[in-house]
Amino acid sequence: MNPQLAGLEGLEGTYVFDLRTSHRAMKLNRFLWKMIGADARHAFNTDPEKAMTDAGLTETEKDLVRRQDWIGLIRAGASFFVLEKFARVAQRTNLEVYAMMRGETFDEFMATRRVPECR
Amino acid sequence: MAKIIGGIGTSHVPTIGVAYDKGKQEDPAWAPLFKGYQPVADWLAAKKPDALVFLYNDHATTFFFDLYPTFALGIGERFEIADEGAGKRPLPPMRGNVDLSIHIAESLVNDEFDITTFQDRPIDHGCASPLPLLWPHQPDWPGAIVPIAINVLQFPIPTAKRCYKLGQALRRAIESYPQDLKVVVVGTGGLSHQVHGERAGFNNEDWDMEFLDLFVKNPEELTKLRHADYIKRGGAESVEQIMWLAMRGALEGEIRELHRNYYLATTTAMTVTLYEPA
Repeated sequence: MNPQLAGLEGLEGTYVFDLRTSHRAMKLNRFLWKMIGADARHAFNTDPEKAMTDAGLTETEKDLVRRQDWIGLIRAGASFFVLEKFARVAQRTNLEVYAMMRGETFDEFMATRRVPECR
Repeated sequence: MAKIIGGIGTSHVPTIGVAYDKGKQEDPAWAPLFKGYQPVADWLAAKKPDALVFLYNDHATTFFFDLYPTFALGIGERFEIADEGAGKRPLPPMRGNVDLSIHIAESLVNDEFDITTFQDRPIDHGCASPLPLLWPHQPDWPGAIVPIAINVLQFPIPTAKRCYKLGQALRRAIESYPQDLKVVVVGTGGLSHQVHGERAGFNNEDWDMEFLDLFVKNPEELTKLRHADYIKRGGAESVEQIMWLAMRGALEGEIRELHRNYYLATTTAMTVTLYEPA
């Protein structure tokens, strides 16, 4: 255990992205990361199944990507900062992804914000 | 010799860049943010610094987790602004100062701060989101940036104290540069926010205010906090505020806060501050 992170075990809804997680989910994270390249976006949009197979994703990971299960992807070890690159490809804003991770509709989530028009 | 004339603390929320590109400066929901940067932009226009040293974090754009530097300094005449999945932004590439960047790299490494260097790689919203709110970009940016990326994504990340010490070493590097350049050090990130998990959307305004006050009066206290303390108090991704401490280390001693704007609209407490040595 990294002593800098001790005490976070009970903090709900938080998934620390450390080297253990990164090592476990390297292929998934690399697949999501590559969406910053126009070629990778084109390949995914043309044939998502082939793109996922080429990236070496497991069946579980493929299913999470197909269903755009954002919280499932986080639990599977995705870093949010590569997940948001895939969100651009999926035509989802970060605010929409936050709502879905919380299990709320977009309107429900925005109603909890101070300036819901700020988007 | 080069001199540090001030420090800026700023959020680097990607949405700021999106709102800027869409021309939302006068939109009532966005105006409090953009207006909050104007005094800092005016100060920069009056003081005309030659370089802004940006202490920022990459968001797995310039680097991927297979090789993720703890500290990395960019060297180049220009830095392209990265495509992060939504295409290129309508901004000119950021300007660099090769000689100054190399001097800082040499000084840091000789000072036992063994920093990674990178060249010819695009840089993401960690720098590019706040930059056009600080500096005009037409016809071109008025000065250079020295980008110093700090890993705050993949733990283990540097401690708060280590970031402060980086700032101290950065000051020695800048003040040993032979040309009479004026330099401003920019610490980016925060304030309270969390962008992943069911806790996404967490904020803590009381802690944000305490952080900003301690930042001026007692930064030592902030360097003693562990990452877990930042994560609990301000949300998981607010741990990036340790990058502000690197800026504070470069401005060691008494400082005056000239400006503060705090705007918590949706999920990140968007903040900009301006400091001068007292």
